Amino acid sequence: MPVDAIVSEKLTRRFGELTAVESIDLRVESGQFFGFLGPNGAGKSTTIKMLTGLLAPSSGRMQILGLDFAAQSREVKRQIGVVPEGMGLFERLTGAEYLDFVGRMYGLDGRTTAQRTAELLDFMQLADRPKTLVADYSHGMQKKLALAAAVIHRPKILFLDEPFEGVDALAAGALKHLLARMTENGVTIFLTSHVLEIVERLCSHVAIIHKGRLVAQGSLAELRSGIAGGEGGTVTLEQIFLSVVGRDGAVQPQPEELSWLT
Amino acid sequence: MADLVRPFGVGTQIRLIARLRWRIMRNSLLRQDSKWDLIGMIFAGFFAALLVLALSVAIGAGAYAFLSQGRAHWLGLLFWAIFLFWQAFPIFVAGFGQQFEFRGLLRFPLSVGAFFVISLAYGLADFSAAASLCWLLAMTIGVTVARPDLLPAMIVISGIFALANVTLERLTGSWLERLLARRRTRELVFGLFILLMVIVQLTASSVASWGKAAAPWLLRIIPVFAVFPPGMAGWALKSAADDGYGKAVLYATGIGAYALIFGALLWKRLAAQFRGEELSETAAPSSPRTAIPSVKQPEKSSHLRWLSPQVEAVVRKEFRYLTRNGFMLLSLVMPPVLVILFGSQIGLVAKKYPMVSSGRAGSELIFPGLLAYLLLILVAPAYNCFAYEGRGMQTLFTAPVRFRDVFVGKNLILLAVITFELLLSIGILALRIGLPSLPMLAATMAALLFSVAGQLIIANWSSLNFPRKLEFGSMRNQRASGMAVLLAFGTQIVVAGACSVVFLSGRWFGSPWLPAGVFAVLAASALGGYFSSLDALSALAEKKQEVLLNALCK
Repeated sequence: MPVDAIVSEKLTRRFGELTAVESIDLRVESGQFFGFLGPNGAGKSTTIKMLTGLLAPSSGRMQILGLDFAAQSREVKRQIGVVPEGMGLFERLTGAEYLDFVGRMYGLDGRTTAQRTAELLDFMQLADRPKTLVADYSHGMQKKLALAAAVIHRPKILFLDEPFEGVDALAAGALKHLLARMTENGVTIFLTSHVLEIVERLCSHVAIIHKGRLVAQGSLAELRSGIAGGEGGTVTLEQIFLSVVGRDGAVQPQPEELSWLT
Repeated sequence: MADLVRPFGVGTQIRLIARLRWRIMRNSLLRQDSKWDLIGMIFAGFFAALLVLALSVAIGAGAYAFLSQGRAHWLGLLFWAIFLFWQAFPIFVAGFGQQFEFRGLLRFPLSVGAFFVISLAYGLADFSAAASLCWLLAMTIGVTVARPDLLPAMIVISGIFALANVTLERLTGSWLERLLARRRTRELVFGLFILLMVIVQLTASSVASWGKAAAPWLLRIIPVFAVFPPGMAGWALKSAADDGYGKAVLYATGIGAYALIFGALLWKRLAAQFRGEELSETAAPSSPRTAIPSVKQPEKSSHLRWLSPQVEAVVRKEFRYLTRNGFMLLSLVMPPVLVILFGSQIGLVAKKYPMVSSGRAGSELIFPGLLAYLLLILVAPAYNCFAYEGRGMQTLFTAPVRFRDVFVGKNLILLAVITFELLLSIGILALRIGLPSLPMLAATMAALLFSVAGQLIIANWSSLNFPRKLEFGSMRNQRASGMAVLLAFGTQIVVAGACSVVFLSGRWFGSPWLPAGVFAVLAASALGGYFSSLDALSALAEKKQEVLLNALCK
């Protein structure tokens, strides 16, 4: 029986009085392309930070590839790749130097690191700026470099926080194709995005978080069949999202509220 | 069509911006982690007010004394002092104060004129301007008490002088803002600034040595200073005091011409900003991939193979950061320069007082003292060693690396730098004042080892507990956490005190090798402590992860 890639039990994070994430039970199987959705401030980034070891949970537990994160954090970190919210780049290195640094930090030997660095820079269309510092990259270029760094050690799970934000359509297309190929080879991808169309096109499974609580989780087909009045394949992810988030008491802004503007 | 209920004037806009600045400051101080900043600001405000008041009294008394003793031509000195403070202080504090980005206001419907007036109004609200205005007022009072008939002339001259000052200060500020907006020019300007500081120190030292010889030359160039605004203000007042109102008007017109020129240049600068001057230097987007041949990078031969891949990666990254940080590089140039400087001064003292500092007796004292001073400068950055990581800190936490490896990598680079700098300085010292006796040399080396190893334990701990983000080559808000500075200072005092006692013990017990022996034991203990602290620091880094990421990844 294959091991689940990500399992969390009652994962909770509090910041003083505020409970940002409350008792989240996630289950992501190996090889799934998993979309993690939620409105602004719902707790997506907090959850992904906990799952990648950038934030300690207040309570609850997580297992990554069957390993207990709290007890075996270094072993878990070896198996995962992360594009965090802030991208985590060292801005005073060039793209090649940054990838070389990351490769060596993950324990790759010098030859492998150099080879993969060259290939990744080429794929991400960053190879023509060998002397440019990351600080002088545009936002999209930085995002592509962060993606390259996340995969240099061939992770088994990839956590991507808004990976396509600022990336041009050409590179985004190639990246989506690459990510799809990775999942075919058994890599699990955990992705957050505000662009529901991207999630709908790429992800086989989705979870929706709202006000720190998980309000829906399952395959797209399961979610479609779950909403009231759903008509199977005709229901879009946006409809599912609005239905699920609205059901939880969220009031959708109505255009007529700003009548003075219209 | 956009609503405009009623047109609002420049006054309203100034009030709105004043409220905005106040709220920004208040909200930043209300943050929980800013309580030390608030306390610091209260203390700084109190002492600054005290200083301004004391100098106001001195300047007022000076103006009174010059006029009542018939030395009106000296009044120019007071104007020069005010002028230099007004213009230089904002540049010096650019690195420490919370700055307000005026360019951001341009997204609102302001006219160029309003932007210009607001810029001047806020130039007058800066500390340097407020203090200078206080001193001008004090000077006016002093002048009026001595010669009541000079009050109208003083008011006019002070007013025009203040206008010239505020326009020049804003002009300099706007050019600095332009230069500092680009990373490369920012680093260049910062480097030049540090070099200027070194030159000032060297000049001060040269004046002490060659002052008498240079005096006639200096006296010849003094009249040149009369053509600048403070010189003109002094001469205008002197002319008015000597009943030469014609000349006074001429000089006042001269200051006014300066104000006009500065104002026109400032207008030009602000108009360029108003038109949307582009300051950023972000790279242009990559060209689409056009079959760039994959360049297989050959594996570089590494001299660091004896290190683990993680430590090697950190060492290489730290070295690259060091070579790309103009400020850090210059701070490495400084110590040997200081050694040369002090060596020269000590040489002069030795010529004057051969009994005190000549020969080996002098080097026995000076040698360990100067090396301790160098260490004080070189180890200080280690107390906030993650300062320049920025968001890269996230990578250190997502990678499967123990923080002991990160610390070892960082400390190795620091150690290499310290070794290089100390060897260079020892060489310079050996040439300038000679080496001390062998027991003293051995004791100094062991003391340095003890001091470095001991301080690194505390510095690493401090870096985890009191992190503060610093920007490369930026002069704004570049200060380590107050606690880190305090800890560094305290540790260095304790270490220096302990070392002094050990050095003196050799004399007390009449055993020249005793300090070397004691320091060898202390150094061995400190090294043992350093290595055994690394695991504890790794565990602490995991605990402090959130604090570190919050402080460094903003």
